[in-house]
Amino acid sequence: MRIVCSALAATALTLAGFAAQAQETVKIGILQSFSGITSLGGQQADGAVKLFMKKYGDTAGGKKIELIRRDTTGPNPEVAKRLVQEVVTRERVNLLIGPDYTPNTLAAAPILMEAKVPSFVTGAATTGIIGEKSKYSTRTFFAVPQLCRPLAAYAVKNGWKRVYVAVADFAPGHDCEKYFLDALKEANGELAGNVRIPVSNPEFSGYMQRIRDAKADAVFIFMPIGELSIGILRAINDSGLKSTGIKIMGTGDITDETYIDAVGDAAIGTITTGIYSTQHNSPLNKEFVKEWAELNGKQRIGWGALAVYDSMRLTYDALNAQGSGKFDPDKFISFVHGRTFESPRGPVTIDKSNGDIIQNIYIRRVDKVDGVLQNVEIESFSNVGFK
Amino acid sequence: MTAVLTVLFNGIAYGFLLFIMSVGLSVTLGMMNFVNLAQASFSMFGGYVMIMAMQWFGIPFLLTLPLVFIAIGLLSVIMERLVFRHFYNTDDLTQVLLTIGLVFMSIATATYFWGGTYQRIDMPPWLIGQREIFGLTLETYRIFLIAIGLAMALALILGLERTRFGAMVRACVDNRRVAGACGLNTGLIFALTFAVGGGLAGLGGALSANLLGLDPNFPLRYLVYLLIIVSVGGMGTISGTLIAGIALGVADVMGKYYFPQFGGFVIYVLTVLCMLWRPQGLMGRKA
Repeated sequence: MRIVCSALAATALTLAGFAAQAQETVKIGILQSFSGITSLGGQQADGAVKLFMKKYGDTAGGKKIELIRRDTTGPNPEVAKRLVQEVVTRERVNLLIGPDYTPNTLAAAPILMEAKVPSFVTGAATTGIIGEKSKYSTRTFFAVPQLCRPLAAYAVKNGWKRVYVAVADFAPGHDCEKYFLDALKEANGELAGNVRIPVSNPEFSGYMQRIRDAKADAVFIFMPIGELSIGILRAINDSGLKSTGIKIMGTGDITDETYIDAVGDAAIGTITTGIYSTQHNSPLNKEFVKEWAELNGKQRIGWGALAVYDSMRLTYDALNAQGSGKFDPDKFISFVHGRTFESPRGPVTIDKSNGDIIQNIYIRRVDKVDGVLQNVEIESFSNVGFK
Repeated sequence: MTAVLTVLFNGIAYGFLLFIMSVGLSVTLGMMNFVNLAQASFSMFGGYVMIMAMQWFGIPFLLTLPLVFIAIGLLSVIMERLVFRHFYNTDDLTQVLLTIGLVFMSIATATYFWGGTYQRIDMPPWLIGQREIFGLTLETYRIFLIAIGLAMALALILGLERTRFGAMVRACVDNRRVAGACGLNTGLIFALTFAVGGGLAGLGGALSANLLGLDPNFPLRYLVYLLIIVSVGGMGTISGTLIAGIALGVADVMGKYYFPQFGGFVIYVLTVLCMLWRPQGLMGRKA
């Protein structure tokens, strides 16, 4: 009995302490994937948060920032949902960075809506998941059409009119295929053929021969991050398709900085769309890259890191604008939505009506810069919308 | 016509890749009747040993291969003495659960030592690019795979089916107690066979990493293919594994070329049909 009593007393004390303190802290839930094969995302998020807080301190708007880290373990909606419930009801977080991945984002949306907890979408690119049903959400990542559309016009402009389209056979691949084909039609380009490649596929040579037979000027590729991207670029090189002079294009996933070294020299010359490259030429980015390297060492900067970094930026700005007083989610959202700011990736605008992102899209070509494979920006499209 | 022949060649080369990857499992599962899913992990470690040998010590690619065989053979014999030998007499499900657990542990181990990213693999220049043979432009690495796959198949078939050691292995597998009573050191023979199986799995990983990429998730991603090849080929036959590898490899590449909309599907349909037709596998003995 005595144990129970003292336990109760201890709990009461903690609760009292918590209540007294609650005014001065803002709790941010960081829901990313920290373990397993997707742990790279979590490392990137950690790196970005660490860098931001080192630079701008751990208080904003007079409130102390407290981080609550949870591991979503990858695209696992049931885990994400449980974690969101936990941090919202038990930890009482004020806002969330994450959860990552589309299924996780969708699973979290109803809870965040009901609890009025603002969240930043830093790892899901599916169209239409931001907006009506989740008005407390803000996307700092990108939306699929932003990457899939611009290359069609770019290809036709450069005289590569006949384009072969190869996408991974899953929902985002089908989406991307549709956006690219629409854009290709608008630009008066011609479809040389298309193929959907299964997401579990170690062997590309049959597809390579098909692309070769089609005698296209260029091939457009959409593959998920990972071994498929590496595999297809290496196959294009190994099969001799690349030396026929066909242009290789795709969304930036295929030459993602986190594994472009594994693709090796086969990646050189690949033209991709992207939201960010460490090569981006702006004073803000140069400073960002330098500070990142000082803090995080050799780890390269992926897009997820940028999305998290910009989420921190928006959070600090919004908290500073709110000043003292209780954290108000509605004020927070009305500050963030509609805001334009300069990010290391370039100018970014958060759409006022639905919180999705509008940003510059860059056409990049893979080149060796000081012996390291880099995505070098060669052209940019300003303020590309999310539809 | 050249397109058809190129596709056929690529299919055969892919078949040899499948054979090289799964022959280690064919030895432990087929010859020893031990369901060791961790063979896929041995493959992964084989890949890492190759990369480390090349990048850290500058050992040429070809010389890394015997090194991989020995290193992974040793690793597997250590594992056999410590863990596996206690489970020789348990049922299949226990072995599956044990070894799949080891697969997950190996993934975590690889992540701990080498990180979660994909490894950079630089092949020597003479294995990169294409060669003109009989008017066909063929990938050099695939030619190399076929050559080395043939050599491995020949060595194994002769070694296990024609030598004294092979006869001893088969005797131990068929009836361990009687073999022991005849004076064979069954424990040693099993350990050696296990080492050969593990070493072959390591070789498979080292040879396939260039085409498949290498990261800690390697074992889970390709385990299914290993199981398909070994079961379609039939338990306990090296030639069966080779035939199954080539047949499925050609079917897969041809399927993707002619019917891309069903491309990824062909290999699974063929597997199901084959298992319905001959549950013991193409070359397997009737149970």
